[in-house]
Amino acid sequence: MEVKILKLELGYIFIKDIQFSDVSKVENGTLYVNKEEVKALILEDQNFKTADVELAKPGESVRIMPVKDVIEPRVKVEGPGGIFPGMVSKVDTVGSGKTNVLKGAAVVTTGKIVGFQEGIIDMSGTGAEYTPFSKLNNLVIICEPIDGLKQHEHEKALRFAGYKVALYLGALAKDLTPDEVEVFETPNLVEGIKMYPELPRVAYVFMLQSQGLLHDTYVYGVDAKQTLTTMIYPTEVMDGAIVSGNCVSACDKNTTYHHLNNPIIYDLFKEHGKTLNFVGVIITNENVYLADKERSSNWSAKLAGFLGVDGVIVSEEGFGNPDTDLIMNCKKIEAKGIKTVLVTDEYAGRDGTSQSLADADVSANAVVSAGNANEVIELPPMEKIIGHVEVADVIAGGFDGSLHKDGSITAELQVITGATNEMGFNKLSAR
Amino acid sequence: MKWASINLVQDRKEEKIMLKVVHYINQFFANVGGEEMAHIPAEVREGVVGPGLAFQQAFKDEAEIVATIICGDSYFNENMDEAKNTIIEMVKKYNPDLFIAGPAFNAGRYGVACGAISKTVKDELNIPVITGMYVENPGADMFKNDIYIVSTKNSAAGMRDAVKKMAPLGLKLAKGEKIGASIEEGYIPSGKRVNFFEKERGSTRAVKMLLAKLNNKEFETEFPMPDFDRVPPNPAIKDITKAKIALVTSGGIVPKGNPDHIESSSASKYGKYDIEGVMDLTEETYQTAHGGYDPVYANLDPDRVLPVDIMREFEKEGKIGSLHRYFYTTVGNGTAVKSAKGFAEKYVKELIADGVDAVILTST
Amino acid sequence: MIITNNDWVLNKYKDIYNVVYIDGTFKDVLIAVRDKIHIGHELLTHPLGSSVKPSETPYKSVIVSDNKNYTSFDSIYMIENAIITYDKFNKDKLKLISDKVKEDLKLIDLTVLESALDI
Repeated sequence: MEVKILKLELGYIFIKDIQFSDVSKVENGTLYVNKEEVKALILEDQNFKTADVELAKPGESVRIMPVKDVIEPRVKVEGPGGIFPGMVSKVDTVGSGKTNVLKGAAVVTTGKIVGFQEGIIDMSGTGAEYTPFSKLNNLVIICEPIDGLKQHEHEKALRFAGYKVALYLGALAKDLTPDEVEVFETPNLVEGIKMYPELPRVAYVFMLQSQGLLHDTYVYGVDAKQTLTTMIYPTEVMDGAIVSGNCVSACDKNTTYHHLNNPIIYDLFKEHGKTLNFVGVIITNENVYLADKERSSNWSAKLAGFLGVDGVIVSEEGFGNPDTDLIMNCKKIEAKGIKTVLVTDEYAGRDGTSQSLADADVSANAVVSAGNANEVIELPPMEKIIGHVEVADVIAGGFDGSLHKDGSITAELQVITGATNEMGFNKLSAR
Repeated sequence: MKWASINLVQDRKEEKIMLKVVHYINQFFANVGGEEMAHIPAEVREGVVGPGLAFQQAFKDEAEIVATIICGDSYFNENMDEAKNTIIEMVKKYNPDLFIAGPAFNAGRYGVACGAISKTVKDELNIPVITGMYVENPGADMFKNDIYIVSTKNSAAGMRDAVKKMAPLGLKLAKGEKIGASIEEGYIPSGKRVNFFEKERGSTRAVKMLLAKLNNKEFETEFPMPDFDRVPPNPAIKDITKAKIALVTSGGIVPKGNPDHIESSSASKYGKYDIEGVMDLTEETYQTAHGGYDPVYANLDPDRVLPVDIMREFEKEGKIGSLHRYFYTTVGNGTAVKSAKGFAEKYVKELIADGVDAVILTST
Repeated sequence: MIITNNDWVLNKYKDIYNVVYIDGTFKDVLIAVRDKIHIGHELLTHPLGSSVKPSETPYKSVIVSDNKNYTSFDSIYMIENAIITYDKFNKDKLKLISDKVKEDLKLIDLTVLESALDI
């Protein structure tokens, strides 16, 4: 059967509270979780010797650190495949049918994979203003690896634990009637031109971090390092086709939650059929090897040209060398007469006067900034710490004396998970 | 009894102390006169003068302009050290909480004066300062990294708009409050990035920016790339002995008497002069109009800035084809980039029409 | 040619690749890379590989070409920008890191380097 329009319905079940209970279920907007079942689920992986689960709710005096990933519970209700294809589900193509979402809930994984780990989520106070995860009802997973477990095995085990728990929670929503449904339709190229002949054609060039341990992203289970720039339906991303194995830096890495809720995809859909024709998504990587960067950006430009788009939005992930990929993508796409808008964050130094990006070009004349990640902030002490508090001093962006006796932290914005997200998830900016 | 005594304490606390402000303006805004009065030295008057009234109204009862310093733009620019010292002493006497200069809009010399005096007051007296200028005012580029310069319209018609932004920011500075991002407070971006929260999230702003760009509408990037402005060089002259070469300068060399009154700074025009038959520039026939360097040596021998004598020698020796009969000149001192570009755009057409192969551009 | 101050890289690859070991800081490595570029070696990996900042790790490995050719402007531009970027970070924190953390940082540098060697 020919699919001229790929349609996905997201059914939102709004979660306003989270509690531990004997029976895991969703009732009247509250997510009830059986703690022991979740622990058992994590411990199915023999790489873990202990596992614990805690709750962190909006407004509480709670600090979670070091955060590895944040994942939104979703479940496939109708249509092919399962959430997180190629990872914890089979590789069938997703992005169509119906998917239910526990909106307002999240699974947060924590753990010291390496000694310098980073990532703080404060559920109240100044820090809460800088992360979207302070507004969610979080189920926090804390697990200890068996002795002698290698770092990359620990990372993988923790990553999978997070997805498994997210699927476990998501499954609770499978038979529920959503509070709200949102429909996303992507016509194929021919159909799209027929439907919207007058509208400017726009694609999203989605850059994925891909540099090694703690710096990886997976597409249908494939390490993005190994991929050639390619295309994907925007709704595949909503079913978890792209997941994060990236833990650096806390402020500008895309958590799996960000991937599932990619705001650029969402905002392009909002305008789709009205002011623009959202043609599709081009995914490309950010390898360290320079020839790879050239190859990947050549391909991004080539595909954008092949699709015949008029404009693209390009988002990057991470610090430093991805700025080079960003500028390469920009230059090459602009050279084809296709207009670009870039989304990035800045590292302008603590006083804000240093050069914000590690690369630049005159063709990058339309840039959205997600803020200066070097700006120093004061995080008040929190009553409860979930995770490991002593990492604050060594945490990314922190510096000598950043963890004070009273539990408050002076650190750069870098340390807060999601603070300067380069998909433009937040309202933070700089001038 | 208890109730009454609480009231008394509150009354005493409500005795507000008004912040003191000193305002700097030029001869034009003080209604002393126009260009012809630009030479007047600094003087101080009590209270408000000219645009100070608008500021006073905006300050309401929070601040008071206790004195206004008036200084001619030419005087300031040509006697900078003396002017600064005099004005510093004047400001010291009033011990203000805030120093306001201008706004200067697009007036180049006024902008440079406002910027220079504000920076000096800030550096030497440690008093918060604020001024306002149009973004293309050369004073803006020169001082935006040192002091807060509110972005204004390009003429005095924008006075109300300027005061609306300058007054609240001025009060904030005087009170020592935290200053937000340039876009929030209205000052010209100073190269210091400051975080703030937008109304909409980044992705929405990106989509809107792309739509504007696609529809050829105006948009403003949130992060301006560093200024590149690289001009790729033209290929080399194949045979210089046959080339017609023109002399162009921003060093301000003009016929003696400066017949076209090219300004000594923030030039608003350029000059085109005929040197047919002129073998050498001398003290009697030419001079410099440039106010940004010590003129003594250029006046003694203007060839030092515009090397007509050497070019004539080369012509005679066959080293170059010929020296073009016209030279073009302006004063580069504090002249807006836009103006300079504009001059060149005009006369480059003449140079091409006249068959000039190459230009020697001298600057100072 | 691998230019590195990470002894794990030296020990693992000294017999396989041309490894130039710098007994110094992250910046010393960047400077050594810059010097090689000026005499005609080409930059093969980005000098700011990995999102771990210069203020967080003292280790850096960069690959340049074994052979010298003409001096590449792109390589110069990239290494100079990397040095500018390095300088804007406050490195006080590096004094605090424990041996265990140092090992982890060496591992990250090694794996990022290997992501380039695999190709």
